[in-house]
Amino acid sequence: QRVLLLVASDVDALCACKILQALFQCDHVQYTLVPVAGWQELETAFLEHKDQFKYFVLINCGANVDLLEILQPEEDTFFFVCDSHRPINVVNVYNDTQIKLLVKQDDDLAIPAYDDIFRDEEDEEEDSENESDGSEPLEKRRRFEEEVIERTMKRRQRREWEARRREILFDYEQYEYHGTSSAMVMFDLAWIMSKDLNDMLWWAIVGLTDQWVQDKITQMKYVTDIGILQRHVSRHNHRNEDEENSLSIDCMRIAFEYDLRLALYQHWSLYESLCNTSYTSARFKLWSVQGQKRLQEFLADMGLPLKQVKQKFNSMDMSLKENLREMIEESANKFGMKDLRVQTFSIHFGFKNKFSASDIVYATTSLMENIEKEGPETTNFIKALDSLSRGNLDKLHQGLDLAKKQLRAIQQTVASCICTNLVISQGPFLYCSLMEGTPDVKLFSKPVSLCLLSKYLLKSFVCSTKNKRCKLLPLVMAAPMDVEQGTVIMVGIPPETESSDKKNFFGRAFEKAAESTNSRTLHNHFEMSIIELKTEDRSKFLDALISLLS
Amino acid sequence: MEPAEVEFLAEKELVTIVPNFSLDRIHLIGGDLGPFNPGLPVEVPVWLAINLKQRQKCRLIPPEWMDVGKLEEIRDQERKEDTFTPMPSPYYMELTKLLLNYASDNIPRADEIRTLVKDTWDTRMAKLRLSADSFVRQQEAHAKLDNLTLMEINTAGTFLTQALDHMYKLRTNLQPGDSSQSQDF
Repeated sequence: QRVLLLVASDVDALCACKILQALFQCDHVQYTLVPVAGWQELETAFLEHKDQFKYFVLINCGANVDLLEILQPEEDTFFFVCDSHRPINVVNVYNDTQIKLLVKQDDDLAIPAYDDIFRDEEDEEEDSENESDGSEPLEKRRRFEEEVIERTMKRRQRREWEARRREILFDYEQYEYHGTSSAMVMFDLAWIMSKDLNDMLWWAIVGLTDQWVQDKITQMKYVTDIGILQRHVSRHNHRNEDEENSLSIDCMRIAFEYDLRLALYQHWSLYESLCNTSYTSARFKLWSVQGQKRLQEFLADMGLPLKQVKQKFNSMDMSLKENLREMIEESANKFGMKDLRVQTFSIHFGFKNKFSASDIVYATTSLMENIEKEGPETTNFIKALDSLSRGNLDKLHQGLDLAKKQLRAIQQTVASCICTNLVISQGPFLYCSLMEGTPDVKLFSKPVSLCLLSKYLLKSFVCSTKNKRCKLLPLVMAAPMDVEQGTVIMVGIPPETESSDKKNFFGRAFEKAAESTNSRTLHNHFEMSIIELKTEDRSKFLDALISLLS
Repeated sequence: MEPAEVEFLAEKELVTIVPNFSLDRIHLIGGDLGPFNPGLPVEVPVWLAINLKQRQKCRLIPPEWMDVGKLEEIRDQERKEDTFTPMPSPYYMELTKLLLNYASDNIPRADEIRTLVKDTWDTRMAKLRLSADSFVRQQEAHAKLDNLTLMEINTAGTFLTQALDHMYKLRTNLQPGDSSQSQDF
């Protein structure tokens, strides 16, 4: 039996796909891999292949809509869905036969009870069958009156039930959020089958780190999941301590690190990394002259000469690098940055190659969303997938270079947006729109890059504004997507607060606003909070959104 | 012979593995293998061991001679003697390469083993070159070399025999009159 793998375009899905591919190879299962970037591609792929395959595996797509209705499959096709998008559509949950969901047991799902949402259709037929063909007119009339009363009671009950159902479903489906990373679920599967390897563990780590980099999960969940992975890491990598039987240097080792939050700092210079990481750049307010001065103060406080800090990290003096993490943490505390260090993992193989999990995430994301078109649509996806294997270091280095460009572009755009006050408050949310002529605007026509930009922009805005109310508002960001077709890509992100639960209501809000204004929108992405719409419809759409949310 | 062919022959050697699956005896053309029981060591040819290892179905146990102490002894012995000493396995080079490439996590101190085997190989190749050199200089008719493995013979053999052919042709051409026609090489 052959299997069709439908994989969404984000790093977590890529990692889950890699783990699953390795498992398939162990057991000689034949499969076909189809990358999909949105619902339309999912449907086309399904229609193309539905005659040849009976088993479909969907990774990071498909849990939040009614799959059977959209795809209309045959009776004997099976769908295995491993998706971190929540809430899971109730039809998918309560379907016994065709849809199998892969979720972790203790993931808190809050699914409404079956009886609250589904009701047998037999009650309706009973009513229509109660047509009496009785004999006497008087009896008939009395019976008829009784029946009418019964029927109105039933109808009222039904209406009440339906109203309650709508309310329950509305509450359930109102907010979008993310559950456990699919890569971690796949790794669990491998572990249960006793086929887990260090490689797969690394991919699970990268999947989790992707969720953290893109701000999809809460800090608590991240720390819990890190704890789970840490147990696996020590199980696989305990031999590194043992001098007698130490592993060959070429073997891959994973190590737990309490590392700095600076993006790509080991492959860049420390200075660049401080400037281009959203955490430090927002808190120092590096778009202003004072901010730059504060950064110099910070470096001086640590005793790091500018010349050292601006050169490649690998060439920095060893004496400076030795206690770097502790030094930076101390100084950062003085400057108001308490969370500069974060728990993460790093991988080490050969003599030269040491990468942190977040490095890999940035590299793979920029490879996947590379705007330079080289060949057919799926090459970027395949390249990104390949770069996750240890043998393809050149692709990984290419990804790192692209990631540096992307981070720089994001920082410059954020700086210009804040300096020119492009972020305006529309009442219930903040709004920012990128103009066509902005440098690097093409980079932001891709969903993940635009999301990253919006999150960094919101963080920086919150640090820069003095308006207390504005600090708690969510952000809607728009960027030109395709100049010829006149489309704009719009994302909505939840507000930036310390204890945010990362729940996003923009998915439903966008849908409702589009309906009420008849705007020409395309809700193609698996994340409901990312849509495309025609440039002309933008203003009326925004007005509808404002009135909806106020 | 190509080195790849020599490696192919080397893959028939038996090596011990510890499988994590169970299977009854399998009957192959070359003989019977198995039965496989999880946790119990069994001897299989190297080609099967590598395949199972790649599919994560077994753990490899390094052969007895693949141990730092023994290999150090062998290397020192080789350096002392002028002639070739017997090697622990007629395919020691191929086995080392295969096992260290695919199963280095099952072999303790793999890097040192690699270095030791390479040292031994280098010493033996140096002896071979010296021996070939003196053979040519003294224009001997035949030579006898003990304890050479197939891989070493293969590395030096083709070149040596072809070179000797050429030299023979050149030498016979030096004598004028006897062979007046030009020869095709």
